[in-house]
Amino acid sequence: MKKGILTKLIVVLPLPILLLSLLVGASESISLAKIFSYEFWTNTSGSNLAHTILFHVRLPRILLVFITGAVLAVSGSAMQAVFRNPLVDPYILGLSSGAAFGAALAVSVLFIPVQLSAFIFGLAAVGLSYMMARKNRQISVVGLILAGVITNGIFTSLLTVVQIISNPLQLQSIVHWIMGSFHSANWDELNMVLFPVVAGGIVLYLFRWKLNVLALGDEESMSAGLNPGRIKIWILLSATLASSAVIAVSGIIGLYGLIVPHIVRMLMGVNNKTTMMINILLGGSFLVIIDNFSRSFKGFEIPVGVFTMLICAPFFIWLLKKSKIGWQQ
Amino acid sequence: MRLKRGVTIKIVTWVLCVLMLAGLYGCPGTTESGEKTGKLKVTDFRGKELVFTEPPQKVVCLIESALSGIYMLGQQNRVVGVPSSVYDQELYSYYSRLDERIKEQTLPTPGDWDFISLEQIIELEPDLVIIWASQTDAISSIEQFGIPVYAVMLHSFEDVYKEIEDFGKIMNCEERADSLIKYTAGTLENLREKYSSTQNKKSAYFMWSEGINETSGKNSTVTQLFQTAVVENACDMPSEHVTVSVEKIYDWDPDMIVMWNNKGMDPEDVLKDPLLQGLSAIQNGRVYELPEVFSCDFWTLKMQYPARLIAEWAYAEEIQSEILERELRRMYEVLYGKKLMK
Repeated sequence: MKKGILTKLIVVLPLPILLLSLLVGASESISLAKIFSYEFWTNTSGSNLAHTILFHVRLPRILLVFITGAVLAVSGSAMQAVFRNPLVDPYILGLSSGAAFGAALAVSVLFIPVQLSAFIFGLAAVGLSYMMARKNRQISVVGLILAGVITNGIFTSLLTVVQIISNPLQLQSIVHWIMGSFHSANWDELNMVLFPVVAGGIVLYLFRWKLNVLALGDEESMSAGLNPGRIKIWILLSATLASSAVIAVSGIIGLYGLIVPHIVRMLMGVNNKTTMMINILLGGSFLVIIDNFSRSFKGFEIPVGVFTMLICAPFFIWLLKKSKIGWQQ
Repeated sequence: MRLKRGVTIKIVTWVLCVLMLAGLYGCPGTTESGEKTGKLKVTDFRGKELVFTEPPQKVVCLIESALSGIYMLGQQNRVVGVPSSVYDQELYSYYSRLDERIKEQTLPTPGDWDFISLEQIIELEPDLVIIWASQTDAISSIEQFGIPVYAVMLHSFEDVYKEIEDFGKIMNCEERADSLIKYTAGTLENLREKYSSTQNKKSAYFMWSEGINETSGKNSTVTQLFQTAVVENACDMPSEHVTVSVEKIYDWDPDMIVMWNNKGMDPEDVLKDPLLQGLSAIQNGRVYELPEVFSCDFWTLKMQYPARLIAEWAYAEEIQSEILERELRRMYEVLYGKKLMK
């Protein structure tokens, strides 16, 4: 398929997916006939169950899922460019283990909101990686990745300690948070993530063309008149801020931030200037589709993280085998 | 085309301002729950006061032990949603005798102790949702729709009594709740008295279904259960749930090991475990497994039965299976009525 047509398809993709997703769910109160009825639009009180479920349960969830998918894809793509490493995802600097530890601590010990604790500890973990990697006011990419590995190890160990002292109920909550889910998504959670996501997203979007230069290496970036060190920090901070916010409400959605940028790269090439928007649209839409399975597979919730792995991994392998376009080009 | 730096900053500032204003304006959907003028007042395990003008007619209960309490109170007609675990084979065999809707599998399952389906709960239009206090996200989501939530967290027998007492108040069956609590407390007291003069008190190690290393310490319902059976909890650690090494178990050297109902292991497996052969409990063949969860759930008023079993295992010269069976049937009859005996 020609790239132009593919781009147009991806651009229009979210609208039908979001609209159709509004019709997916466990409730039997909603049907097309009901949505097109006069009462559905005129009676907006709590007694109109279909209206309540559509606009206060499904809509905020679908929007939150879209935002989460978009953020993970964009952050993963940006981090892969900054680190010039195709194996990097938004969790590389310890974000996921820090957030998981924060969530576990909130569930078992602190009794503060899980999202707040996950957000704080997610940022703290990334901050720790920076501190460890910083030497003589310089941060090397390899040093940062190694610091991320160490931070991941530290917070995973701390998480294990919390799990050991938790009772079975708390343990179950922790395990399910780690698997990622949107079962309690609502307008408040959407409001909560909006500011950090938009703030981080704007910076990433404005810096998108600089990612192409960074991908060439530091010396080339400097010869193009850029300060690669400063730009990297801005990009990493923005990606971390946005990712922490969505992880705090969704839990850990494994591999998504790694796989989607690869799929986009395979489909559209490596120019970050154009793939940034495609990552947003495809990343958001794809996760909405996956979450549709998660909330309609059985009467109750199956963690979305389980489906991202089960659906993304074979799809990724298929694309990898079918397409010769990869990171190398 | 590249924008000038000043223009970019202005655009970013404007976008952020618009977003912040949108955030401040907020989104619809939040309403206060419950009229605060009614007479039926209880405080749940979060310390939140719930006030009802009349007993809730539609209750979604997502905790099996709490559901058990509602059935004991004879208030099952109020239940419109149950935890999915109720349809698991073992529990189903009991609940299907207590409720025709469960037998027919028509009672919806909008969640369990970990996940909920928010839209299924809303669709059921409940007047009350009963859920674990640790499910904080789910609680805030449900409360946003003006649905009162009674959050449960049980750490002791007293908590179980409070739960039943609160259900009695809310569902207008205080007398029944009171009589059930008195019956249970009385049975536990009788058991304690029966063995209190025992000279050679036994110690026991409790083994959860995760394996020999998983146990409960001093501040736990398990300890209360042991105390009722006049048995000492061998684990002297304070935590409710703790993972210990085999060396530590050797330090304690319990007289007996009590296993929580375990699908993958039975007392024979523990008795044959080469790691444990030096323990007195193993050498004397004193490893016991509690029967199915429904009869032994010590987060319900049925805690008297496991306590009775443990006392029997610890002190009886010969285990009287028939007497225990009769006592179990008697307990079921008092707590659930004759339906369960069919």
